[in-house]
Amino acid sequence: MKNSVRLLDNTTKIDWFFLLLVFVLMGCGLALVYSATMNSSEEWIKSYWFRQALHFAAGTLIAFLFVFVKIDYWKKIAFPFYFVVLLSLIYTTFGGGTTTNGAERWIDLGFFRMQPSEFAKIAFLLALSSWLSKHRVSLSQPKTLIVPMLIFIFPFLLVLKQPDLSTALVFTSVTLVSLFWAGFSLRELFLFVSPALSVLLSFSYIPYNQFFWGLLIVMVGILLFKMRFPVKLSVILVCLNLIAGYADDLVWNSLEDHQKERVDTFLDPMKDPRGVGYQVIQSRVAIGSGGMLGKGFGNGTQTNLSFLPEEHTDFIFSVLGEQFGFVGCVFILGLYFLFLWRGISICWLHSDRFVNLVVASACTIFLFHIVVNIAMTLGMMPVTGLPLPFLSYGGSFVFTCMMLVGLLMNMRYHGDELDVNYK
Amino acid sequence: MLKGSFSAELDTEVRNRKILVFISCVLFAFLILSGRLFYLQYIRYEENYQNSENNRQRKVVLKAERGSIFDRTGKVLVRNRPSYQVVISARELKDKDSVFARLLNIRDAAGERVFDSATVDTAFQRSRWIRNRPLRILEDASPEQAALIEERAMDLPGVMTVVESRREYPYETMAAHVFGYTGELSEEELKKEEYQSYSLGDRLGKKGLEQQYEEEFRGRDGMKYVEVNAYGREVGLIQGMETQEAIPGHHLITTLDFDIQAAAEAAFPDSMRGAVVALDPRTGEILAMVSAPRLDPNIFSLRRRERNKGWAQVALDTTHPLTNRAISGVYPPASVFKLVSAGAGLEYGFVRPTTHMSKPCTGGYQFGSRYQRCWGTHGSLDLVNALRLSCDTYFYQLGLLMGMEPINEFGRRFGLGSVLGVDIPGERSGWLPDSVSFNARNKRSGWRWTRGLILNLSIGQGQLVTPLQEAALVGGIATGKGVYEPHLMKEIRDVDHELVMRYIPSKVHQGEMKPETHQMLLDAMDSVVNHPGGTGRRAALPGIRVGGKSGSGEWKKGEKTHAWFVSVAPLDNPQIAVATVIEAAGGGGAQAAPVCRKVMEAYFKKYPAVKEVQP
Repeated sequence: MKNSVRLLDNTTKIDWFFLLLVFVLMGCGLALVYSATMNSSEEWIKSYWFRQALHFAAGTLIAFLFVFVKIDYWKKIAFPFYFVVLLSLIYTTFGGGTTTNGAERWIDLGFFRMQPSEFAKIAFLLALSSWLSKHRVSLSQPKTLIVPMLIFIFPFLLVLKQPDLSTALVFTSVTLVSLFWAGFSLRELFLFVSPALSVLLSFSYIPYNQFFWGLLIVMVGILLFKMRFPVKLSVILVCLNLIAGYADDLVWNSLEDHQKERVDTFLDPMKDPRGVGYQVIQSRVAIGSGGMLGKGFGNGTQTNLSFLPEEHTDFIFSVLGEQFGFVGCVFILGLYFLFLWRGISICWLHSDRFVNLVVASACTIFLFHIVVNIAMTLGMMPVTGLPLPFLSYGGSFVFTCMMLVGLLMNMRYHGDELDVNYK
Repeated sequence: MLKGSFSAELDTEVRNRKILVFISCVLFAFLILSGRLFYLQYIRYEENYQNSENNRQRKVVLKAERGSIFDRTGKVLVRNRPSYQVVISARELKDKDSVFARLLNIRDAAGERVFDSATVDTAFQRSRWIRNRPLRILEDASPEQAALIEERAMDLPGVMTVVESRREYPYETMAAHVFGYTGELSEEELKKEEYQSYSLGDRLGKKGLEQQYEEEFRGRDGMKYVEVNAYGREVGLIQGMETQEAIPGHHLITTLDFDIQAAAEAAFPDSMRGAVVALDPRTGEILAMVSAPRLDPNIFSLRRRERNKGWAQVALDTTHPLTNRAISGVYPPASVFKLVSAGAGLEYGFVRPTTHMSKPCTGGYQFGSRYQRCWGTHGSLDLVNALRLSCDTYFYQLGLLMGMEPINEFGRRFGLGSVLGVDIPGERSGWLPDSVSFNARNKRSGWRWTRGLILNLSIGQGQLVTPLQEAALVGGIATGKGVYEPHLMKEIRDVDHELVMRYIPSKVHQGEMKPETHQMLLDAMDSVVNHPGGTGRRAALPGIRVGGKSGSGEWKKGEKTHAWFVSVAPLDNPQIAVATVIEAAGGGGAQAAPVCRKVMEAYFKKYPAVKEVQP
């Protein structure tokens, strides 16, 4: 590492390049929120960009507080925190709190409207990482999966009930990556998710779904055979797959109306060009009309004339695409890539399980948000309502992101203290 | 991995591989996203760019202001008023259910619902497939209602108020039949060839001057390209797209005179049915035209429900207020026609002014087995006195002497039996029967021409004339210089009142006659009004020599006669000819003559009588 620039030095306790990336992204976010809402006649102190700046300032403060927490402390509070969040989730799911837009639920704390599902992401991450850092998991020994699955299933079902499908999928992705980090091989992971894939493939919307499903079953069979899986387990897995293959109606009926609608309009946005499909179409048009270099800052006609719905929150990427074009979008994607790379690199430094798990999970949360949100604005995925880290407006989500940033920095800062235990 | 051998530390190699897997996943996902971005922003750029432009660009039609109508002195008779329309625009209409609910919740100060749920519902339904033009949900809203909608504009995306201009007739029923009215083009009409240049919602003239001069009134619609926001509200003009200003329609200066028209209207209350026409026989300019019962053309500019109500009222009325009786009403000319009979007798040399008929008037005339009555007992009369007293017996014999041909020929010289060509639609030609046309018309009923019919026809029972024809006839007889095409358009001026077109009087019937005939008819008309015992003494004006002729048209047994009076003044240099008919009112001299007098009075109050200037 002698030749590397100091900025990229992996041996420093604080990754200044990572921090720089965070602040550059925040700056871009502020600019975009400003341009998305510049038409509103609010005075500047009440404007979105100013409130977002306050969120960022508070978030940065939280992140720096997090840096100095001892890692053992995280392990200690992981489960208590998890249960508190679980309770508040139960409270909001079963009628408590206030709702907006039928989906997001808040607990009004007077000075701040708390969104338990946001904090649940962090609590869940800590709890799962803390368990998996102490226990071994293996697919061939299903007993080892019971506790992690329990940790996963409660918040998952609760947010699904809210209904907040996207957050539920965040939990799922974090669980999968954590299992991977905790010892699953890719093949095991594939077998593990195969029933879920079967459900997905049972939907006739997917072209050649029957063919792919057949392929899936065959692959599962081959893998089970090659990995010399216990026979009993193998049979159960295959049966699960077969049953799941016919579960489309069951799953479809369990979806909330607005979720069905969103899936429907994703498949055919023109079906309802004024309703849910409207967002998708307008967002695609906004991004596409940006062209290579974009229309220039503040010149987005789609944005300025409020054709884009929720442009400052979920659809902030379309604002970017319209004003800065392909170059701007790729620049931001590049920043995100560097950000995730610097984040996951923390794993190179430390071999402690907890540190690794927390870092991988935190990076997964970021990755999942980034990919799903951008894919949604590009019309590649159903509209899910996941915000884009650092760019989207929204207090709770900024705090979540900054807490995760704080966690990542904390892992880097204090990780080596744990390393000595093993040397 | 064996059971029990669990370490809190990860195997470095395994961990490194996992990091690589993670980073490859990130790279893979980002590459797909970049690919999609490239597709949308480079390959599909043109299409998306066009869509975003279409999103914000609207072509707005600038409606041309319809021209107004003025009287000959420049007083405005028909003008436009602003009318607020509340419309929905399908392209901007989002979240229909809540907009619908909000619309229905809007109440005015009196607590009444502003919108009718059925109308709004229909418009919302239609907005599903009619997306390119606004649909009206409230017609002709009051300014208060329009303000209510504008206040809530932000809550009602896709709901807008637009200002249209609609016709206003400030003097309500005055000369309504002359002006006609405007109505909205229906969707069926729009498909027709002749309405190709119109668009839906346009109003065009129906009946009267509004219809006749539609092309002049209309002007030309303009066009502008505006940028709109997602709520459909204009935020500005689009640069580089030229705005075509609307060209307002032309104004029409009518020949009507407000004061004369007002006097005629006042003299002819709505309780009477009939018509008054006053024209200038020297040019054919119509100075006043009244048809009663009247209608108020303002009802056609009201909102649909009231419009339909008003429409039903006038359309189903058995007295036919929609008909312009002055040009479309045909009546038996009655004794007025004796002017024609007498004129024909003189012109063709059958009689001289001093000729007495073989039989004196004894209250009737024996024709074969039939005894044809006269309205009085006049004794033996010469022609002038027969006209003054309107003696039927004299004209029975005169008619039998001549036959119908000379009478009809003389009548045609003044335009009887054919349309005069007045510049409003609906004029009827009337009818001058002779043996041929009588047989042709009554073919089906089997009635045949008999000589006995001449008796009736020679005193004007059986012909059909319009009040306009009667006015033209008396004017033509009085001037002796022919009949000019009656017209209502004097000038057409553009929006700045610059002259565009002026009507040049044209003679349509020569009205030629021998000077003796002319003089005799003048004397007769003079005596009708000014001699004691004349039937038209109620038409006399102090200081002005008025000529006239009364008539009492029988039309139905047991009913009062139609009262006719035609007058012309001053006799030595005629400036105004007036014809009045009052349906089922009684004697012409008693009922209709005062109406003529009031009209002439109004005329001479404004325009002094001029002595004829000898060339």
